[in-house]
Amino acid sequence: MTMLLEARPTRSRLPGAIWPLAALAAFAASGPFLAPYDPDAQDLLRVMEAPSWHHLLGTDHVGRDVLSRVLAGAPQSLGLAALCVALAASIGVMLGLSAANGGRFTRAAIMRLADLMLAFPGLLLAMLFAGFLGGGIWPMLIGLKLALWPQYARMAEAVATGVLREGHVEAARLAGFPERVILLRHVLPAVLRAILPLATFGVGQAIMSISALGFLGLGLKPPTPEWGATINELLPFLSEGFVQMAAPCLLIFVSVLLLTLAGRALATQTTGLNHD
Amino acid sequence: MTTIARIILSRIGQALATAAMLATLCFAFVHALPGDLSLRVAAARVGDERVTSETAERIRREEGLDRPLIVQYGQWMGNLARGDLGRSLLSGKPVTAELAYHTKFTLQLGLIGWLLSYVLALPLGIWAGMRPGGAVDRATEALAVTLASLPAFLVGIGLITLFALTLRWLPPAGFRTFAHMVLPAFTLALSLVAFSIPVIRNAVVEARSAFFMTYARVKGLSPVSALRHHGLRNAAIPVVTFAALQFAFVIDGFVVIETLFNYPGLGELLVKALVARDVPVIMGAGLVIGFAFALVSLLADLARLWLDPRELAEARA
Amino acid sequence: MTDMALTITNLWVRDRQGNALVKGVSLAVPRNGVLTLIGETGSGKSLIAQAVFGLLSPELAASGTITIAGHRPIEAGNPRALARLWREQIMLIPQEPSLALDPTMKVRRQMALAGLADAAINPALSAFDLPASTGQSFPFALSGGMAQRVLIATALGVGAPVIIADEPTKGLDTDRVTQTIDALRQLAGAGRTLLVITHERRVAEELPGELAIIRDGAIIERGESVHILEAPESDYARIWLDADPRHWPRCHRCCDMERLTLSAHGLSFGWPQQPPLFENLDLHLPKGGVLAVSGPSGSGKSTLGDILLGLRRPRMGSVEWGGIDIVASSAAIRPLRQRYQKLHQDPIKAFLPHLALMRQFKALEAVKPGLSVARDLPPLLDRLRVKPSLLNRLPGEISGGEAQRLALARILLLDPFAIIADEPTSRLDPVVQRETMLLLRELVDENGLGLVLISHDLALLRSLADETIDLSDHRPRSPAQLKGATASTTLS
Repeated sequence: MTMLLEARPTRSRLPGAIWPLAALAAFAASGPFLAPYDPDAQDLLRVMEAPSWHHLLGTDHVGRDVLSRVLAGAPQSLGLAALCVALAASIGVMLGLSAANGGRFTRAAIMRLADLMLAFPGLLLAMLFAGFLGGGIWPMLIGLKLALWPQYARMAEAVATGVLREGHVEAARLAGFPERVILLRHVLPAVLRAILPLATFGVGQAIMSISALGFLGLGLKPPTPEWGATINELLPFLSEGFVQMAAPCLLIFVSVLLLTLAGRALATQTTGLNHD
Repeated sequence: MTTIARIILSRIGQALATAAMLATLCFAFVHALPGDLSLRVAAARVGDERVTSETAERIRREEGLDRPLIVQYGQWMGNLARGDLGRSLLSGKPVTAELAYHTKFTLQLGLIGWLLSYVLALPLGIWAGMRPGGAVDRATEALAVTLASLPAFLVGIGLITLFALTLRWLPPAGFRTFAHMVLPAFTLALSLVAFSIPVIRNAVVEARSAFFMTYARVKGLSPVSALRHHGLRNAAIPVVTFAALQFAFVIDGFVVIETLFNYPGLGELLVKALVARDVPVIMGAGLVIGFAFALVSLLADLARLWLDPRELAEARA
Repeated sequence: MTDMALTITNLWVRDRQGNALVKGVSLAVPRNGVLTLIGETGSGKSLIAQAVFGLLSPELAASGTITIAGHRPIEAGNPRALARLWREQIMLIPQEPSLALDPTMKVRRQMALAGLADAAINPALSAFDLPASTGQSFPFALSGGMAQRVLIATALGVGAPVIIADEPTKGLDTDRVTQTIDALRQLAGAGRTLLVITHERRVAEELPGELAIIRDGAIIERGESVHILEAPESDYARIWLDADPRHWPRCHRCCDMERLTLSAHGLSFGWPQQPPLFENLDLHLPKGGVLAVSGPSGSGKSTLGDILLGLRRPRMGSVEWGGIDIVASSAAIRPLRQRYQKLHQDPIKAFLPHLALMRQFKALEAVKPGLSVARDLPPLLDRLRVKPSLLNRLPGEISGGEAQRLALARILLLDPFAIIADEPTSRLDPVVQRETMLLLRELVDENGLGLVLISHDLALLRSLADETIDLSDHRPRSPAQLKGATASTTLS
């Protein structure tokens, strides 16, 4: 692991993209603890109440505090998306590296599988998993992961193949460094640099997919306060509770926007580094 | 032309393979589920409360669920080859009829939304690409990033809130008149525009800055004829390819949009079937979607071959 | 001055910060004459061509005047006015021919769009040794040299009296350079006025007319080509023109043929399902010897280098490292692995891009027992004339010449028996190339190494090598021809 640390750029500036990411992570982690009320506590005497000092974002159709619900939903919407992408990216990187490093047969097998998976519409795959396995966290995670890993595998394979052809890899081989060192010090850092922007962007896409599944009633099921599921529950009351509906919608939008911008910033930064 | 024929054949083969894989995957899922399938079917047909062991037993016999899996799979695939997808567990109607009815609506919505998205994106993208870094470029970029960060159902909810609930210009849901199509089509178009604007803009920038455009001027062509002879085709290659592919990605969007607007397309059918575990319908819908997806990527490939001689040479090699 | 077809007067080009990149250049090309403008990379020579066409990037500002015979002088800062001269008065042969052709259109149609009559296209092509089928090809099917000649044919066809060729030989193989120079001479013969911009001395030597040398944006010498090449006046011109490999001091040494450090017998190699690239190749590299391998691009030069290094297996034949066959037993490679090293074409890419150079040197201690970088590196850097402070930088932050010397230092730390240098200076400027190459030869002498030098530049090889192998002599031929072919050509 020290090899990995060594391989970092020496004049590492903290990328500007780190701040929105840190803010989102902090929000996802602390959300449930900030909730003023129990997110599941119903109060049928106070349904669809407009925002007030007691309920800053009003109440929903069974009298639950909307602010508490969206805060409690943060770890599910954001954390699950991050987890999902992290798993898919690690699987993809591992398979991509094996493909780049392996023989002709291994490479063909892995890359053809990736192509085949990419031939399926991503959300459809997740929907089928979620639908068949009856919703909940695991079917959705498996479905999304299956849909997501191929793009990371492709990227990792392309970058690793390129790096393995470069002069510094050949120089290291001729100097007698073992393959393990070459993989860890020469290939992996380059692959991770390329994967990072894609994964950041991917978390945003995963948030949209998870909330879409929740919205379709195929993801996390009510009363889970996942944002998409919350929107699904509130949809029939759209004309009465605009603020209640706007809260989870805005949260999804802002999270995805931050991740998209961070991904773009990371991408320009890494391509900028590659240029010099 | 044999090259083209070979590519078409191989891509149709791929499309069939994709569809068959999807179907097999569905079949595997259904039977890999824990619990008794016939009980679940019974619950779907008569409702959870009224299921008895007799109804389950009857369904097991009727649907042939007591036979070995491989036999059921073989029979299902055999029926599939004859174009028989079975009957919906929910409505009892033939799956092919259900699919045909709903596919028509989806195609209508998809085509209109897709065309509408290019009616919006082409002028904006070209305008932005004519002056990279200018005010229009930055404004459209911001628009594209914003739209790309909005899931389709949020765009839809926003449009419903504005045009149906507040302004009351359009109906919020349903499918009876053309007015019902407006909001879903715009929702679809806006979520597609987010990705097509940057592609068009970059294609225009690239084609304009290519040295062969400058050289065409040096060798005597006017700006207009340089654009006509060299610029258009080169800029069109990435755009046409992307547009065709995007038609395939409409699939990811329409499921959500149809559910939101209560529009009776394939996506809505699929979601209802998924919720009710209506297995034959799920499998049929999966097949149609997978096949359509592959077919559209075939069209994208052909468009690229037609426009770009380099691709054709590569395909020949 | 009346008979000047193209006159450039007091041309200045400045960037946004106000730095002058071209400093008051005045040039005139007589009617039907040839002027060659020669200078190294970054001397501003291509900016002059761009300024004449009004094609400078918007970040640059030009002043001065451009005059075409029979027209009023035009302000260099007025690209619109200059654009009116295009095709009718002046024509460009651009630097990157493949970028000047529309990739989606057949060559013939592109020439027709330039105004060449349909019947004139085939003669125009064949005048420059291009088959008529070239017209029916798409640009991606043409080699760089062919695309170049298509553009030269187009330039002649449009009929502009003044033609400017910007680096017409850049990136071409030696024999393609000859072909391009012939084509340019043909243009001059057809009564065109020619301004040729180049960095290659050869172009200046083989074109008639005048020569101007440019350095840092200013003309430092100009006059009849022959005179300047014979006796340059300024010091810079002398140093720079001497950097041409054909003017290096010749090498005549005796090598110890008894102690071969590297040899190969009966080598042949070809890509799968393709005819062999070379067959029945023998080579011998003694300690302190320099063996050169040349051949056109695609002849398998680099592949031969990889075979000699044990990185690729030949189809047939043997490679011996100090008498041990490494093809027959790959286990034999391991103990000698570090002793056979490669000097890469792109020295900066030979280092990990995101790790400070010092740490990359330090890492060698893990694979070379007994090596102490702190002890062994400083004297080596001193010998190679590299500042030790460079080691604190990233590879991207040093120049190509510095990187190549550091790559050499890394190799020398491993106590090599032989070095395979694959086009080691093709990305360096002529002056740096000369310095690096002479240094390499000194090191070979001092340390008793063997050096295999791979290059397409015959002049460079002739000046350095004891022996040259031309791979095109080892292409498979009919048996009758094969008998007559010599295995290797010894030069002395």
